[in-house]
Amino acid sequence: MSEKLETKATSIIEGFREKWTTAKIVDLLVRNSLLIVILLVMVYFATQNERFASLGNLRAVLIAAAPFALIALGQTIVILTGGIDLSVGSVVALGAMSAAWLSLRLPPEQLWLAILIAVILGTIAGVINGLVIAYLDVPPFVATLGMLTAASGFAYVIGGGAPINGLPAEFAIIANAKIFGFQLPVYMMLGSFIIMALVMRYSAFGLRVYAVGGNRTAAEVAGVNAKRTLVQVYTLSGFFAGISGVVLASRVGSGPPSLGVGYELLAIAAVVIGGASLMGGRGTVWGTFLGLIIIQTLGNGLDIMIVPAYWQNVINGVVIVSAVAVDVWANRRRTR
Amino acid sequence: MKKWNRRGLLLATSSVAALVLAGCATAAEEPATTTSAAAGAATECTDLRIGVSPYGMSSFIAQGQEGMEAYAEAKGIELLWTSAENDIATQASQIETFINQGVDAIIIAPVGAETLGPQLQAAADAGIPVVAVNTTLKNDSLIISSVLPDDVAAGAQEMQQMADHLGGKGNIVILQGPLGSSPELDRTAGINSVLANYPDINVLAIETANWSRVEAANLMANWLTSFDGQIDGVVSENDDMAIGAIQAMKEAAISPLLPVVGIDGIEDGLRAIEAGEMIGTSLQHGRVQLAAGLAVAERVVCGEMVEKNYVYTMPPVNADNVASYIGNVVTDTEGFLARIPELIEKNLASGDIANEN
Repeated sequence: MSEKLETKATSIIEGFREKWTTAKIVDLLVRNSLLIVILLVMVYFATQNERFASLGNLRAVLIAAAPFALIALGQTIVILTGGIDLSVGSVVALGAMSAAWLSLRLPPEQLWLAILIAVILGTIAGVINGLVIAYLDVPPFVATLGMLTAASGFAYVIGGGAPINGLPAEFAIIANAKIFGFQLPVYMMLGSFIIMALVMRYSAFGLRVYAVGGNRTAAEVAGVNAKRTLVQVYTLSGFFAGISGVVLASRVGSGPPSLGVGYELLAIAAVVIGGASLMGGRGTVWGTFLGLIIIQTLGNGLDIMIVPAYWQNVINGVVIVSAVAVDVWANRRRTR
Repeated sequence: MKKWNRRGLLLATSSVAALVLAGCATAAEEPATTTSAAAGAATECTDLRIGVSPYGMSSFIAQGQEGMEAYAEAKGIELLWTSAENDIATQASQIETFINQGVDAIIIAPVGAETLGPQLQAAADAGIPVVAVNTTLKNDSLIISSVLPDDVAAGAQEMQQMADHLGGKGNIVILQGPLGSSPELDRTAGINSVLANYPDINVLAIETANWSRVEAANLMANWLTSFDGQIDGVVSENDDMAIGAIQAMKEAAISPLLPVVGIDGIEDGLRAIEAGEMIGTSLQHGRVQLAAGLAVAERVVCGEMVEKNYVYTMPPVNADNVASYIGNVVTDTEGFLARIPELIEKNLASGDIANEN
């Protein structure tokens, strides 16, 4: 009886040993290096200030992350096709300004219309990007650079060059309504990430995006309509940027035309830290989420430790480059 | 096809860096000297055409345009209004265009403090006087007169408001403008000058939120975590960041709200004072400041004596007097603009440029 048990135990241990060789464990660690770095960073901040690990601080990190998360999500899908969307920051401003402008002119019960139109405008900016890139063969960098300038121009036109202030209290509800203690944009962020992660993994659309980014010619030969796929990804990016603009304007009750300047670079940083390749075809929504979390956690933790803003910029720069360097190294190691 | 992606990132980074705005004010530190204006004092003084080139269209400049237009209409002055969109080259070419058009005077709010040298020389050669409003050049030898806010005094004023509110002791946090910009440097200097008198006021943290509500809200949220329950007051170098800080306190369910002071007296700032969410601000009223600049330019062209520097000293706003200012800035701007021509004449005579009564 006891002998049987013993042999059973040894066989389990043997099986475990076979399954978990040192090489495999190292491989697992390397593949999840970003997650490990995030956990180490969090542990470090928590030892520096016990309030870092509080619920209140989690709320602060998530609400700050939400608008960037939406942009980074759109940017991920675009980068997966081997493109880039530089216009997201300006489209954020366009969404914020149009929502602010409309919210002052519509009766409170029609505020949803202001939000809807703002998001539609952002989406239209994305559609234009996509059409210009797919059908006029303008490189994504140039097409979205043009949209960056044009959408920013429109944002200034809407407010006559000035911020739009004095927004109605009802408009603030979008970003300030709380469910289970967390503000609405936090749920928008989490919901969008989960939906897009599933879409990219299981839907035909997700498959097409990876195919076009991996090898466009091969994808087209295989029957993928690459042009249509490109229009779809830039449309999604514009859509998310529009929502992000509405959320930002609602949170602080103001539509500043200068909103969103530089957000495109933050979004791109989150995507590449998350392991996506700017050449397209490689990367995941989950990776971008991790990239975003590390940027936001660093910002939050360094603020809490009262590290000056210029040092924070230095640290962020180092993190972006080293995260990508580690990722490149890990990939080479895997393929060797 | 693939290479541009990375180079593009770099390019975009540098273009964003170039977009970072120049500041918007410098304090006049030299003692006021009286200059005899316009060498050619014989210039006829009717049907003036005056070119205006501000650094961009902020809400402050947009207010200022209203004020200038009200004054211009009353005096039969034709305004040629442009905006440099925060670009040095654009501003330079706008001034060159004004010179070619043969305007009677040029009013500038420079994008950068060390720019426009050749353009001002060309204006001087053409006998066209140049007046600076709101911002100026480091070398102002070719600027005949200027109307500038006293940002050092504004910083000192808001810190004094906070010190008085706290009874001279407590822990504060300070939200700064973009580091190194002239209003940030001056307002911070003003804040520090008052802090020197209050050894019992302790600065827990001082950091920039780049005039932005969103940045200020995120930074303040993080500070509320760092200094759980220790912060007694928030000193913000503008109203937008003050409102961002209030948003962070609301999100963190801080009740009652901590006292907050700002600068500028924008609509939402005055409303926040009205609602008891801010204890005070310092009003920088574009309509008054820029209209005064136009009136100075008019006097220069007409050969009247003007000061080298007119200082706009921002009046303090608090719960007691906010009602009167909210009319002028927000609810009754029509009525206020109607009073502008007369008000500006009175202010130039008295030297109290920021007066609104």
